[in-house]
Amino acid sequence: MAGKIKQMIDSIINQRAKDNPMLVGVIKSKLMLKGIDPNKFTAMSDDDPAIIAKLEAVMKELK
Amino acid sequence: MYIKTAYSTKGTSDDVIQDLQSQFGDFDTKMLLFFASSRMAPNIIGKKVQDAFPGAAVIGCTTAGEIVNGKMLKNSLVAMAFNSTAVRDVKVEVVENPKNENSVKKAFATFEGHFKVPMAELDPAAYVGLIFVDGLSGAEEKLIDKIGDLTNVNFIGGSAGDDLKFEETHVYANGKSYTNAAVLAVLKPGVPFTFIKTQSFADLGKTLTVTKANEEKREVIEFNDKPAARAYAEVLGVDVEEAPNRFMHNPVGLVIDGTPFVRSPQRIKGDSMLFYCGVTEGMELSLLESTDIINDTRKAVEQAARELGSISGIVNINCILRTLELDQKQLTDEYGKLFADYPTIGFSSYGEQFIGHINQTATMLVLK
Repeated sequence: MAGKIKQMIDSIINQRAKDNPMLVGVIKSKLMLKGIDPNKFTAMSDDDPAIIAKLEAVMKELK
Repeated sequence: MYIKTAYSTKGTSDDVIQDLQSQFGDFDTKMLLFFASSRMAPNIIGKKVQDAFPGAAVIGCTTAGEIVNGKMLKNSLVAMAFNSTAVRDVKVEVVENPKNENSVKKAFATFEGHFKVPMAELDPAAYVGLIFVDGLSGAEEKLIDKIGDLTNVNFIGGSAGDDLKFEETHVYANGKSYTNAAVLAVLKPGVPFTFIKTQSFADLGKTLTVTKANEEKREVIEFNDKPAARAYAEVLGVDVEEAPNRFMHNPVGLVIDGTPFVRSPQRIKGDSMLFYCGVTEGMELSLLESTDIINDTRKAVEQAARELGSISGIVNINCILRTLELDQKQLTDEYGKLFADYPTIGFSSYGEQFIGHINQTATMLVLK
């Protein structure tokens, strides 16, 4: 399977930044400091379970 | 004037308190921020400051050197008082055992009760978070990471110092002294504000990818699939034995949009490298080279002054490694003078926080 990571990253950024470009930058920085570079993931990227677990933890806090 | 600073180098804590009270006079203090040398009775100074300003929210921490209005000091206490024009509202919480993520959530529940808004919805353009952490707790990454997951409000601050003894650092809140803890404060400033995150490094364009790490211990075992110490020495073009001499001048950084989030090496352990802040497997770090702290800081402060139009107060958390470098280059006075025109307090820290936990950086809250 592929593309889930990009989908999750986009969802986090949309939910948290709500189209505020300054917040988009901050949230991307926060992800990079967790070891997840949003620029590296595309719809073709493999679904790495370790990265998905990190993103799930972030998404959990959004609920 | 809605922000006022004071400092004291008196010998006893009672004399220091009297000195502060006399300098602040009848200023109507809503919040008092203070940074004190670890030589100033860390177990009792927090209570004495709170007792002297009973109506104020009082927070602070121990230091590895202090900064005030154009001066860099040692063995002193520096303080900044904010009246209700500068800070309309403030809520302080202590996070004990900061590695436990539930303790952050507990603090945030209290903030939400106070401000009547979920922390995830609190407007980062209207609110500011301050964070001061026990500088020997090793908890900063988890703490700031969790805070970042829970809110868009920017928390800025630093890790307490103890004058380079590396024995015990303290944070202070509402009359108590804490170790293995962090003090968080959420403020609603009554004036515009901005942040400075400044570090003086050039990206040398050489990448070290963390391929094996013990993240809990801030240890990189392998860079680029090679023993970390050897890989670091190789990109520098020096022997492993020489590498530690280059740590301060050549740390590494996670470069985001052209700006490094600096990770400073602490020491070599076997073939591994220990750092002063967290490194994550897969992280691509750039080799950095130090540039001009004075010039870069001057530009950053000038930019903030332009952005705000004027400055009524700066809280400057300056990494101890920057202070040591300034000291080595005999630039300490010059650095202090960069803040001579602005009411400023600050301290030399064991780590800085802004978006993440970082090293060899100055993080500043700047108020108009």
